[in-house]
Amino acid sequence: MADRPSLIVDDVHVTYRTYGGRRLTARQQKTWHTIGRHVGAVDKVRAVRGISFVAHHGESIGVIGHNGSGKSTLLRAIAGVLPTESGAVYADGTASLLGVNAALMRDLTGERNIVLGGLALGQTPTQVEDRFDEVVDFAGIGDFMQLPMRAYSSGMGARLRFAISSAARPDILMIDEALSTGDAEFRRRSRDRVDQIRSEAGTVLLVSHSMSTIRSMCDRVLWVDGGELRLDGAVDEVLEAYAEATGRPVARRTPRRPSAGPRTAARASEQAVAG
Amino acid sequence: MTTTPSPLATLAAEHGLRQVGVRPPLRRYLATMWQRRHFAVSLAGSKAYARNQGNYLGQVWALLNPVLWALVYLLVFGVLLDTSRGVENFIGFLVVGVFMFHFSSASITTGSNAIVGNQGLITSLQFPRALLPIASVLAELVTLVPALVVLLVLVPLTGEPFAWTWLLLPLAVGLQWIFGTGVALVCARLVSQWRDVKQLIPFVLRALMYVSGVFFSIDHYVGSGTAAAVLSHQPVAVYLELVRGTLLSEVALTPALWGWAFGWALLTLVLGFIFFWHAEERYGRG
Repeated sequence: MADRPSLIVDDVHVTYRTYGGRRLTARQQKTWHTIGRHVGAVDKVRAVRGISFVAHHGESIGVIGHNGSGKSTLLRAIAGVLPTESGAVYADGTASLLGVNAALMRDLTGERNIVLGGLALGQTPTQVEDRFDEVVDFAGIGDFMQLPMRAYSSGMGARLRFAISSAARPDILMIDEALSTGDAEFRRRSRDRVDQIRSEAGTVLLVSHSMSTIRSMCDRVLWVDGGELRLDGAVDEVLEAYAEATGRPVARRTPRRPSAGPRTAARASEQAVAG
Repeated sequence: MTTTPSPLATLAAEHGLRQVGVRPPLRRYLATMWQRRHFAVSLAGSKAYARNQGNYLGQVWALLNPVLWALVYLLVFGVLLDTSRGVENFIGFLVVGVFMFHFSSASITTGSNAIVGNQGLITSLQFPRALLPIASVLAELVTLVPALVVLLVLVPLTGEPFAWTWLLLPLAVGLQWIFGTGVALVCARLVSQWRDVKQLIPFVLRALMYVSGVFFSIDHYVGSGTAAAVLSHQPVAVYLELVRGTLLSEVALTPALWGWAFGWALLTLVLGFIFFWHAEERYGRG
């Protein structure tokens, strides 16, 4: 393959600790083990169990799977914000993760959050200042920009977060369900932004439960099931297999927009075989 | 060393991809921190600012808060009770002690919460995690500034003459700030690894309050001897003494005191930073 890989995920396992509750077997629940619910209520969750794949510059990859299948955890491990138990993630350049709960500061105004978010992503104060108006325009939430974020609707919050994260022009942009709360106009804008990032040779990973979003924005799909990679291939192939397994109707095929980039489904499937 | 790299690792090496989520070497870690310093400053400022935004008077509270505290102490110890506990300017002594002790204890409390309390930031953005405890303590420093202004008004009112040592106040506060940052780095890691440590911190802080001479002069109550020497050389007491020394004429600023203050600041910062950095790649694990 002549293309340079932008992201290599090599047999990644992710385990995290969670406090406040513990899973017990039916048998344990009848013995003294029940004390484990009150004292030492710490459990380990093996969310990702050995996933490998290779992504290339200019690719847009959808990630699908049930709730709790490990999609978000995988993205966090790729972003380097959740440590891997074993295995490794290699990336070319900066990765930026855009999640529904990407916590900016709720008590601060949208304006302050733009500055804070930009700085956190590694921009200099001058870069933040230069891009400030662009972010404000892109978010398009009017004078709510001057109100604290806790006054925002979930859609407005999503718009602002998307505007902040994508203004940094990351090499790898990961979007975790963040587009689901937006309205049609916002989805169109975000789609354009994703296309723009891909055309600048960036890589996009998109977690979504909306099959139509996956169809219109991605050229390759990963199906994650129980923390493992069940299928990796072209959009049609994976979505059909997924729909068959889950008994959900497949979303109607929509023609891909011409501006979606040079990568065709044929090339994506060729990579899927190689990867 | 002996295991052969996996084919994917070889592919990554061929194309010069960098592994993510591993602890960077100390030098690069420091360089990244320096590059993101504006984030820490902005986060600290925002935190200190947000603290007072949730009500009508807003930022007026930044100044009103220390003023009211000072008034309470003036009323209780200057008007109602007549205690001196071996100190001439007891009100000055007490208010400086209370304000500066609060700075240290708040630094430790918020610093220890810097990792577990900011999981949202940690699990969505990649940046050197040490910036979080540093920003927390910096936020406390920002909050302290209006309190220092109140001190500079109050201390002359208690009959203290102006002295050139007042000019050393920023240096003394700065050293205490560095010390607080070092302790916050240690506590932040301890609490993220063993959550139960957080439950112990209030007890440690309360004990520190009683042994650091916040309300009384250690020399006057404990006298001399090993116990007094240990109590008056532990860092919290050293910084209280130092700040009092810059503002109050009856507290002597000795070279030895400055030595202890510099020593503690440097020691806790270096050890705390290295201790924190050692677990850098583990802070997202919850």
